[in-house]
Amino acid sequence: MKTLIILATMVFSLVQASLSVALPQPGKPAPGFSLLDSNGKKRALSDFQGKTVVLEWNNPFCPFVRAHYDSGTMQALQKEATKDGVVWLLIGSNNPKRMDNFGGKHANKFLKERKSPATAYLLDPKGTVGRLYEAKTALNMVVINPQGELVYQGAIDDKPTTDPTVPPTSKSYVRTALADIKAGRTVETPITRSYGCAIDYAPLS
Amino acid sequence: MMKHIQFILALISSLIATLAVPAHALTVQRPHTAVSLVTEADSFVPGKPLTFALTLTPIKGWHTYWKNPGDSGAETALSWKLPPGFTAGDLAYPTPERIPFGTELLNYGYTDASTLLVEVNTPSAWAANQPAPLTVKASWLVCNDEQCVPENAEFALSLNPGNGTPAADRADVFMKARTALPKAVDWPTRFSLNSEHFALEVPWNADFGRLEEVAFFPLQDGALAYAATQDVTIAGGVLRLVTKAGYKADLKELDGVLKVKIAGAPKADAFLIHATQDKGMALTPIASRDRLGGSGPDGSGGGKPITLVAAIGFALLGGLLLNLMPCVFPILSLKALSIARSGNSQAHAQREALAYTAGTLATMAALGGVLLALRAGGEAVGWAFQLQDPRVVAVLSMLVFAIALNLAGVFEVRLSFAGQGQELTAKPGAAGAFWTGALAVLVATPCTAPFMGAALGATLALPPLQGFLIYLGLGLGMALPFLALGFIPSAQRLLPKPGAWMDSFRRFLAFPMFGTALWLLWVLGQQTGVNGMALGLALALALAFALWLVGRAQAAGRPMQWHVATISLATALGVGALLVQLGAMPATAGAAPLASDNPLQAEAFSDEQLDRLLAAKTPTFVYFTADWCVTCKVNERSTLVSQSVTEAFKAKGVKVLKGDWTRQDAKIAATLRRYGRDGVPLYLYFAPGATKDTPLIFPQILTPTTVLSSLG
Repeated sequence: MKTLIILATMVFSLVQASLSVALPQPGKPAPGFSLLDSNGKKRALSDFQGKTVVLEWNNPFCPFVRAHYDSGTMQALQKEATKDGVVWLLIGSNNPKRMDNFGGKHANKFLKERKSPATAYLLDPKGTVGRLYEAKTALNMVVINPQGELVYQGAIDDKPTTDPTVPPTSKSYVRTALADIKAGRTVETPITRSYGCAIDYAPLS
Repeated sequence: MMKHIQFILALISSLIATLAVPAHALTVQRPHTAVSLVTEADSFVPGKPLTFALTLTPIKGWHTYWKNPGDSGAETALSWKLPPGFTAGDLAYPTPERIPFGTELLNYGYTDASTLLVEVNTPSAWAANQPAPLTVKASWLVCNDEQCVPENAEFALSLNPGNGTPAADRADVFMKARTALPKAVDWPTRFSLNSEHFALEVPWNADFGRLEEVAFFPLQDGALAYAATQDVTIAGGVLRLVTKAGYKADLKELDGVLKVKIAGAPKADAFLIHATQDKGMALTPIASRDRLGGSGPDGSGGGKPITLVAAIGFALLGGLLLNLMPCVFPILSLKALSIARSGNSQAHAQREALAYTAGTLATMAALGGVLLALRAGGEAVGWAFQLQDPRVVAVLSMLVFAIALNLAGVFEVRLSFAGQGQELTAKPGAAGAFWTGALAVLVATPCTAPFMGAALGATLALPPLQGFLIYLGLGLGMALPFLALGFIPSAQRLLPKPGAWMDSFRRFLAFPMFGTALWLLWVLGQQTGVNGMALGLALALALAFALWLVGRAQAAGRPMQWHVATISLATALGVGALLVQLGAMPATAGAAPLASDNPLQAEAFSDEQLDRLLAAKTPTFVYFTADWCVTCKVNERSTLVSQSVTEAFKAKGVKVLKGDWTRQDAKIAATLRRYGRDGVPLYLYFAPGATKDTPLIFPQILTPTTVLSSLG
C-alpha cells in the first residue's frame, strides 16, 4: 500500500511538472516581473495585485502598431479600459541599440504624441519579460485578471492589418476578454496567434 | 517652378499607372519590391480557367512571405474586381525558405523573387467580341531585419475571349513557377502534439538516398514552434520529424510542405502533405545518435548522425578491415614478411612501423583534405570521389597493374643504387615504409570495408576539422597491423619463418592485384563504354611491355638511363593521350542496363531512338530520372515497377526509353525544355501515330491508374 502511495505521488508530481513546463499558459498564474518605466520608476506586476492588467507590446515604428494608433482604435480601447480601473502597460522588448537607442524619452514622446492614456510604458531592453511571456511580435497582447491569472494572450483583434481603416471594424479579443473578466465569465478564446512586427530581441548575454 | 513640374509629372505618371490597358503583362516598381502580373495566354476560352502569375521581387536584404508567414509577417493577398460570372481561386505559393529573425524567431518566405499562381474561372457563356475588364489589387508585406513595410499595387487589365493559346514569351515563367510549387501527394501521414513536442510521421523508403536536409513547413498556425530545430530520423520505413510544439494541442488536421534534399541533388524536392492527428503516436524526442540532417534555425542540417568518438571508432575498425581487401592485402602481407625476413632489431621494426603509419596518415590527410576542400567549395563529392572521373580510374588501374607486374617479378623497383633486386616494399628503412604506407592508402581507395560507410557518412555532417580527424582515424586503422608488429615483440614471432616459399608467395599475390586492376578497368568501362575500356587495356599492354624492358635491363645489370628515358617518355605520351580521350568521352556511353534490374526493359533515351520508334508507330513510354530525385524514386517504386504496369506495357508492346539525368547532360536538358520542364521527373507517352511534339505528358506524381488509363 505504501509503495502504491509513493508511486502515485511520484506520477502525480511528474504530471504536474510536465504541465507547468510550457509557461505561460492561459489559466495559469501570470509570471511576475519588475521593470523600469519610461520615467525611471520601478514597476512590478505585484504592484497591481487585485487589478486587471493588460500588457501591450509596443514598437512605434511597426506599421501594424501604427494602424491601431493612427485610427485611434487603440487609444479608445485604452481609455475605456483605464476608466474601468484596468492597468494598461505598454512594454518595449526590442533591442534599443537597433532602434536608435530607444529609451524613456522616446517612450514618453510616443505616449504624448499619440495621446495615449496608458498607465505606463515599461522598458524591457534585455527582452527578459518578452521572453518570459513568449512574445513574438509587437502588438502582442496579454490580459491578466485580478487574481493574477493569465486569461488571454495573442492578437489584439481578428483582422491582422497594416491598414488604419480596418481596426475599427475588427472584433477586439482584448475588449471581449475584459468584458468577460468584468462579468465573471471565463474568457472564450484564451489564446490566438499574435500579429505585428517581429520583436528584435537583444542577444542573450 | 521645378516643384510644380515635378508634381505634375508625378500626377501624370500615377494616372498612367492606373489606366486600364489591354496589356497582359504589367510590371510595377515599389520602394522595396518589383511586382509583375502576367496572364498565361493573351485570350481566355469561355468556361476554361486562365492562370495569372504574380511575381514579387524584393530588393536585396528584404523578403516577402509564404501563406503561413511564421512567427510574424503576413501572407500576400489579392483583391479582385471581376466581371459577372468570373471567380478567382486561391494563390498557389512556391516552396518557401526558412528565414530566421534574430536568434529566436523564424519566418517562412522568400528572400528572392517568388511567383505565385492563381486561376481565374471564366463563365462558359461570353459574347465573342466582348472584352472582360478586371482590376486586381495585390497587397503584401516586405521586411528586412529592421523594419516591415506593407506595399500594394493595383493592376487593371482587359481580357478578350479567344483560343486561349499560352503565349510563347511567357511559357518559361509559368513553367518555372509550376516546377517551384510543392507537389501534392496523398501519403498517409500522421502527426501528434502535446504541450512540449510535435511529431510527424511520413511513410518513407530508406534507399531513396541519404538525406541532407529535411524541413517541414506547416500551413496551420499553432502546430509547432517555428524557430525550433527539427530533428529527423528514418526507421522502419517511416520518416519521423520531431520538434517543439505550438500552442494548438487540439489541432485535428494539418497541411504542410515537406522539403527534402538528397545528397548530390542540385535542389530539394517539396511535397504538399496532409496529416491527421493520431493521439496514440509517440512524442519522444529523437536521440542525437539517430538524427539525420534535420533543420536548424538557419535551415542547415542540425543533427549529427553519430558522435565524433563513435565515428573515429568506426574509422579505426574500417581501416583495420581494409587490410583484408584484395587491394591492400598484397601490400600488407609483403611488408609484414619483409619485416620478418630482415630479422631487424626491435628499434628498427618500431621505426619502420611508425614510418608506415606516417605514410598512411599523410596520404589520408591529403586525400581527406582535398575531399573537404571540394565539399567546402560546394561540390557533392563522397569517398572514392576520385572514382567518378574516368581519368583517375585509368591512372589508378595502371598503378595497380604496375604493382601487380612488380609482384609477378617482371621488374624490380630500386630506390637507391645500392642493393639489387629488392622490391619497394622490402626496402629497409623508414623511407621504404613511408612510401608503402602511402601506396597502401592510394590503392585502398576503391575498396570499401564494413564500418567505413558510417564513418565516412559522418564526415559529411560534422564540421570539416572533425571530418579530417575521421580520415586520420581511417589511416591509423590501416596502420594498426604494423604498429602491432613493430611494438609487440610476440607478434613478430607469429609470422612464418622466412624461406624460399616467400618468393612464390610474392608472385601469387600478383593475382589479387591483377584482380583489382581488372575491377578498375571494368569501372572504366561502365563510365566510358567498351572503347574507353579498350583504351585502358591498350595502355596496360604498353605499360607491361615498357616494364618488361626495364626488368630485362635490371636483370642484365645494364645501366638504365636510356631505357628509363624512352620508357618514361612513351608512357607519359600514352597516359596523356588516354587521359585526353577519356576526358572527352560522354559520361554515360552505351552502358545498357542488365535485364534483371530492369523490369521494364528500358533502353537508354536518345532522340534518334525515339524517332525510330515513332516512325514505326510503336507505343513508347519515355521517362527522365536522376539518382538524387526523390519524386522520381517514389514514382518508380510505386508505379513503374509495379506488376500491373509492367504487364500492361508488355501486353501492349510499349517500348520504354529512360533518360538518366544523374550527371547533368545538355541533350537531356534540352529535351526536358522541349516539353516545358526544367527538371526531372518527366513522363511522356507516345501513342501509336503520335509525333515527337504530341506526347501525353503525365503529372509529376504517378499512380498505376494514371498510367494504365492513358494506355487506352
